[in-house]
Amino acid sequence: MKVRDFLNNDFSMKNNLKLRKIKLSICGALLTFSFVIIGYKTISLASLNKVNTKNISSKKNQLSFFVKSNRGSIYDRNGELLATTIKVNSLNINPQEILNKNETIKKLKKIFPQLNNQSLRKKLNTRKRHLNLLREISPNEHVLLLKQGIEGIKIEPRNKRVYPNNNLVSHILGGTNIDGKGIAGIEKSFNNRLLNGKDVTISIHNGIQYITEKILSEQIKKFEAEGGAGIVMNAKNGEIYAITSLPDYNANSYNSIFNQNLFNRATKGIYELGSTLKLITAAVAFESGRVNESDVFDVSNPLRVSSRTIRDFHPLNYRLNIPEVIVHSSNIGSAKIAEKFGTSTQLKYLKSLGLMDKLNLEIPELGTPQVRKDGKLLSTMTISYGHGIAITLGHLASATATIVNDGIHVKPTLLISNPNQLNDRIFSSETSKKMKSIMRLVVSSKHGTAKKAQATGYLVGGKTGTAEKVSQTGGYSKNQNIVAFTAAYPMNNPQFVITIMIDNPKGQKFSFGYRTAGWVAAPVIKKLVTRISPILNIKPQTKLSSDFSKGLIKYKIRGKNKGANL
Amino acid sequence: MIRYPSFIIVFLIVFVAISLYQVKHFITQKELELAAINKKIINTQSDLNILKAELSYLKRPNRIEKIAKNKLDLKEISAIDIWNLQHLVEVTKSMAESEVK
Repeated sequence: MKVRDFLNNDFSMKNNLKLRKIKLSICGALLTFSFVIIGYKTISLASLNKVNTKNISSKKNQLSFFVKSNRGSIYDRNGELLATTIKVNSLNINPQEILNKNETIKKLKKIFPQLNNQSLRKKLNTRKRHLNLLREISPNEHVLLLKQGIEGIKIEPRNKRVYPNNNLVSHILGGTNIDGKGIAGIEKSFNNRLLNGKDVTISIHNGIQYITEKILSEQIKKFEAEGGAGIVMNAKNGEIYAITSLPDYNANSYNSIFNQNLFNRATKGIYELGSTLKLITAAVAFESGRVNESDVFDVSNPLRVSSRTIRDFHPLNYRLNIPEVIVHSSNIGSAKIAEKFGTSTQLKYLKSLGLMDKLNLEIPELGTPQVRKDGKLLSTMTISYGHGIAITLGHLASATATIVNDGIHVKPTLLISNPNQLNDRIFSSETSKKMKSIMRLVVSSKHGTAKKAQATGYLVGGKTGTAEKVSQTGGYSKNQNIVAFTAAYPMNNPQFVITIMIDNPKGQKFSFGYRTAGWVAAPVIKKLVTRISPILNIKPQTKLSSDFSKGLIKYKIRGKNKGANL
Repeated sequence: MIRYPSFIIVFLIVFVAISLYQVKHFITQKELELAAINKKIINTQSDLNILKAELSYLKRPNRIEKIAKNKLDLKEISAIDIWNLQHLVEVTKSMAESEVK
């Protein structure tokens, strides 16, 4: 029976007309419904949703583009590129597609002589379908490969992290693993941001960084030292312009270096930095109110405390005031000052200066300070001149900056700092003024220990520190020193803090066998200040300048045996 | 016999079908264009990164220093090479005063 016959079938003569109407209505309704759907879809595709669809698709594309292709770059404070990701070609091979293996090996060896014949043969004879021969080939080698027409060869692009400045600031930049994930330094700390394709700008100035590394490494070589570290930091906001740890390494080879060159001596290594800590002792003495400026301390005889005898490197036979204790770097004087203000005051200030905790710096390689906290008088005394307290160079730079920055805490940072950030006051302006004057005298006084840091035209101030190295067998080594110098300049309005440490320098003929901070570290400061000041726009000053000694107190410093009658 | 509504329905079906095909074709084409543009952006970005890295490599401070010293005969600046004009005025004044005396 045909459909038409069925539809026209007269089931019931009475309802014939009614049935037809119902059939027609159903068909009409279905047809209208279909058209409504088709019409809606057409309009939505053609006009309304077109924009949205486009936006969604482009957003999706953009997102996948950034995520998949490029890890963000790292720039220095002047926009100089320090790290970026580029595409390189890698050489892969499918051994199953190679017809003549001997011929292929011959052709490959011609282009890549570095490939080993035997291992190549071994690789080509495996049953694998995908093998990596070289992780990176040059565009020239790529062209030669194409010319040779070797079967089974696959050139595949891959991302490579590059550090165009090689060794420069390598300890801070860190590195990435084979999957492009940050595993050290800034690369690790800002991994998520970089993975999302966003760039990171750090406070490092690559010119200052280079000069610091160069001058420091020359001095290390000159004194046959094991290594060293240095920091150049803005004294007001803590922005680090240069931070170096020597020996260093090429950041491009991060994953193939396994020696101690990877160790960051500036932020991870903790050292007893000797007499540089006397600056903190003097500042605490002034601030605590328990020591008066007119107080004098007898340093004529070695000081016996418990089982230990505290001696001076340059013994003096009279009583010194605080500026003289610092300028002559008297351990006995410093110990006696600390005895006056006591253990709790000392620990309170060490804590507030951040010398008992890890630095809050934007890299993971940070050392935890070790401070002897047994509450004994001997510990308080030795800490006052830098023994029994091991801190990083970053801690020392931070403390120095705090002292010269009108007493307001300066926290080191590797990022461009927020100018509106308010930090706590640790020392009063008056204490800061006294300390700046004393620090200047350490360099400018003829009796100071850092005369060699005097840079013509720049008011450098600071403090030297020479400490015996802690030996691996315990105790202190008599033959190995750590020398340090923490400086600020210009002292009438300190703009920058420079902190240097050199590990185990050897006495030289030209230094008359001396390997003290005054001989080893102080000249580094002089050279650095002279070279970086024009770049940092710090103008030299002469005595004619009206603000030459502004804000500095003129303390009288006596020399050897000049005050025996006191 | 073809009725008037049927004619409209047939016309609408044909019109909608053609429109739908056109829209689909248009979108497919645009998506291909978008993919091509995105690929171009990726390649350009990659080339740009290589150029930036090369420029940074060429601008390495140790290389610039070498060029400045060996090719341009430049020397490191020292404090005595920099003079503040205000100081110059003060020095000249004091020298003039001492001459008068």
